[in-house]
Amino acid sequence: MIRKMFRCQVELRAYWRKLKAFVKTLSLQRQMMENLIIAKARQDALQRKMEERRLRLQEEANRRFAASGAMTAEEQEQRTLYTSVLEYEQDHDWPKLWKANMKENPNDVTLVSRLVSYLLSQSDHPVVKLLRKHQYRVYNRLYPMISKSLPQSPNLLLRPSCSTHTLLHPETQRKPTSTVSSSSQSVSTSLSLSPSLSHDLHANCDNEEGEELPAQATVDRENSFEDLEQFLTQMDWAPPHSSRGDVGSDSDPTCDSSMLNEGHTQELEMRALKEHLKAIVKDIHIAIDQLLSLCLLSFEFLNTASSKDLCLASIEEAFFTPLWSALVALFRKVNREREQAFETSMKLYRDASPGDVGVPLKLFPQEPGTLQGSYPYESAVQELKLLVKDCCPQKKLECIVRTLRVICACAEDYRCLHEVDSTPKTAAIGADDLLPILSFVALQCQCPQLVSECAALEEFIHEGYLIGEEGYCLTSMQSALAYVESLHTGGAHFPADKLI
Amino acid sequence: MAAGGAGGNSGGKTYSFKVVLLGEGYKLIIPPLPLQASFLTKKLNITGKRVNLAIWDTAGQERFHALGPIYYRDSNGAILVYDITDEDSFQKVKNWVKELRKMLGNEICLCIVGNKIDLDKDRHVSVEEAESYAESVGAKHYHTSAKLNKGIEELFLDLCKRMMETAQAEERLKGNGASQSASSRRGVQIVDDEPQATPAGGCCSSG
Repeated sequence: MIRKMFRCQVELRAYWRKLKAFVKTLSLQRQMMENLIIAKARQDALQRKMEERRLRLQEEANRRFAASGAMTAEEQEQRTLYTSVLEYEQDHDWPKLWKANMKENPNDVTLVSRLVSYLLSQSDHPVVKLLRKHQYRVYNRLYPMISKSLPQSPNLLLRPSCSTHTLLHPETQRKPTSTVSSSSQSVSTSLSLSPSLSHDLHANCDNEEGEELPAQATVDRENSFEDLEQFLTQMDWAPPHSSRGDVGSDSDPTCDSSMLNEGHTQELEMRALKEHLKAIVKDIHIAIDQLLSLCLLSFEFLNTASSKDLCLASIEEAFFTPLWSALVALFRKVNREREQAFETSMKLYRDASPGDVGVPLKLFPQEPGTLQGSYPYESAVQELKLLVKDCCPQKKLECIVRTLRVICACAEDYRCLHEVDSTPKTAAIGADDLLPILSFVALQCQCPQLVSECAALEEFIHEGYLIGEEGYCLTSMQSALAYVESLHTGGAHFPADKLI
Repeated sequence: MAAGGAGGNSGGKTYSFKVVLLGEGYKLIIPPLPLQASFLTKKLNITGKRVNLAIWDTAGQERFHALGPIYYRDSNGAILVYDITDEDSFQKVKNWVKELRKMLGNEICLCIVGNKIDLDKDRHVSVEEAESYAESVGAKHYHTSAKLNKGIEELFLDLCKRMMETAQAEERLKGNGASQSASSRRGVQIVDDEPQATPAGGCCSSG
C-alpha cells in the first residue's frame, strides 16, 4: 500500500513537472506572441515611415525636375529612377563619403574613374540595376536573331517535319562549307548545339527525340552571360547557309521545294535583319544616354566635360563587355557578303607583298633577309589582331589608333633602311602611303570579322571622337577594308598597280 | 555683327571643325609628327574664341578614290593643294572641287592653294587662271610655300574665320537655344565650356 502511494506520488510529481513545463511553454508562447505583435507594430511604423520617406523623396525629385513644365513618359521614368537613387543614398553611406571626398580633392582626376567603377560594383545601386535591365533587354532582342542564324534558315525551322529531319540528320543539311580555316572542331560543337535550339522551338511536336539531345546543349534563356558568351563563341564559326549548292544536293526532297524560294527569303530575311539591327543600335544609344544621365544625377559633380567622358567610358565598358559577342554576331550576319568578299581577297593575296597592294617601294624592305623571319609590318598586324579580343568599342578604337601608330613607326624604320645616307629626314607619311600599308596589314590579319567589328564601331563611336584621331583612324581602317574587299573583283582597277 | 547672334551666351565657346586635305597638302603643309598618321589637330584663338581644328589627310590615289566620301563627310572645310609647277595637279583640284560640292553642297569652305611659290620661275599654272577659277566655284585662293613657311598660317586663320562665320550663320538660322540639339552629326560641334548648372531635360536627348 505504502509502495503504491509512493508510486502515485512519483507519478503525480512527474505530472506536476510536465504541467509546469507546459505552463512555462505557454507563457513563452504568449511572450513570443506579444513580441510578434510589437514587431508587427514596429514594422508597420517602419513601413509608414518608409512610405513617407518615399513620398518625400519623390517630392524632392519632383522639385529637381520642376523646371521642365509638362512631363513626358521619359521624364516620368527619370524621376522614378532619381527617387530610387535618393532612397538608396538614405540607406548607404558611401555616396556621401565619396561626394565629400570629391569636394576635398576636386583636382584628382583618378577619383572620378575610381568612383564610377565603385558605383558599378554596387549591384543594388539603381544605376547598376538600370544597367542590368537594359542589358537583358538588348540581349533578349539579340538572342532570337542570332540563335536563328544557326545554319538552318528559319522557314525550315518552323516546319516540324523538317525540324525532325534536322534533328535526326543534322550533318546532311549543314555541310561545313569552305569558310574559315581554323574551325573544324568548333563547327562540330555548333552542330550539336543547333538541334537543341530547334528542339526548344518544337518541344511539343518532337518530344520523342528528347533523349538524343546532348545534355550540355540545352540553352537556357535565363542563363548568365558567361553561358551566353560560351554559346556565342561556338556559334561564331557556324558555317553560313548561303551556298545553296552544298545544301540542296543531298537533302530531303521536302526541303528542296523551299530552296527555290530561298533567294527571295534570304533577301527578305536580310532586310528584316538590318531593320532589327538598326533598332537595337538605337536602343543601345538610348540605354547608354539614360545610364549616363542617371549617373550624372546621382553625382552632380561628374557633370563636367572631362568627368562626363570618363563616366561614359566606364558605363560603356560595363554595358558592352558581356554583350559584344552577341552584338557582333548580328553585325556579322548583316555583313556576311562583305566578309566573304574580304575572305576571297584574303586568300587571293595570301602571299602578296606590300608592293602588290600599292605600298611604295621605299616603305618596305625588299630583301627577304632584312627582317629575319618576320614580314613587313608584322608588329602592326599583331596589334590589329588584338582588336577582336577586346569587348568594348572604346578599347577597340584605341587598338586601331595604336595599329596606325605602329605602322608609322615601321614605315619610318624601313625608310631609314633605304636611305643609306644617314640624314634622318623625318617626313610623316600621308594618307597616300598610309592606306596601302593599312590594306596590307588588314590582309595579313586574316580576319574577315574585322569588317563587322568596324561596322559596329562606326555605330558606337562617340560624336566627340568622330572628327578626332579615333575617327580618322577608324575611317582609314574602313577605307582599307573596303579596298581589300574590292581587290578580288578589281580586275579593272588594279592590274596596273600590280606591275609596280 | 556675327558674334552676337549665337543664342545669347557666346562667351566661352569652343568651335570644333573638321578640315580635309586633298592633294599634296600633307607633306607640304603639315610638319612631320612622329607616330601620328596623316592626322593633325591644331588649336587656334580667333577673336577671343577657341577653335579646334582636326585636319584629315585623304588619299588622292585613284585606287582609293571610291572611298573618298567617307573621309569628306561631316567636314566643314577643305584644303585643296596643287603644285604651281604642275598643271596636272591643278586639274586634279578641279575634279575634287566638283566632287566636294556634289557631296557637301555649299556649306563647306573650300581653299584652293597654289603651293611652291618659291619656284615661281617654273610656274605652269598662272595666277589669274587659278584665282578666277577659285572665284567661279566659290572658293578662296591662297599662295603658299611650304619650303619657306610662307602663307600657311594665314591660310589656316582665314579658313577658320570663314568656317566660324558659316557656323554662326547656321546657328542663327536654327534660332535661339538651338545649340543643344546639334541637329545632325554634320556641321560644327559647339561645346559650352561651363558645365550646365541644371542637368534636367535635354541632357538625355542629345543622342
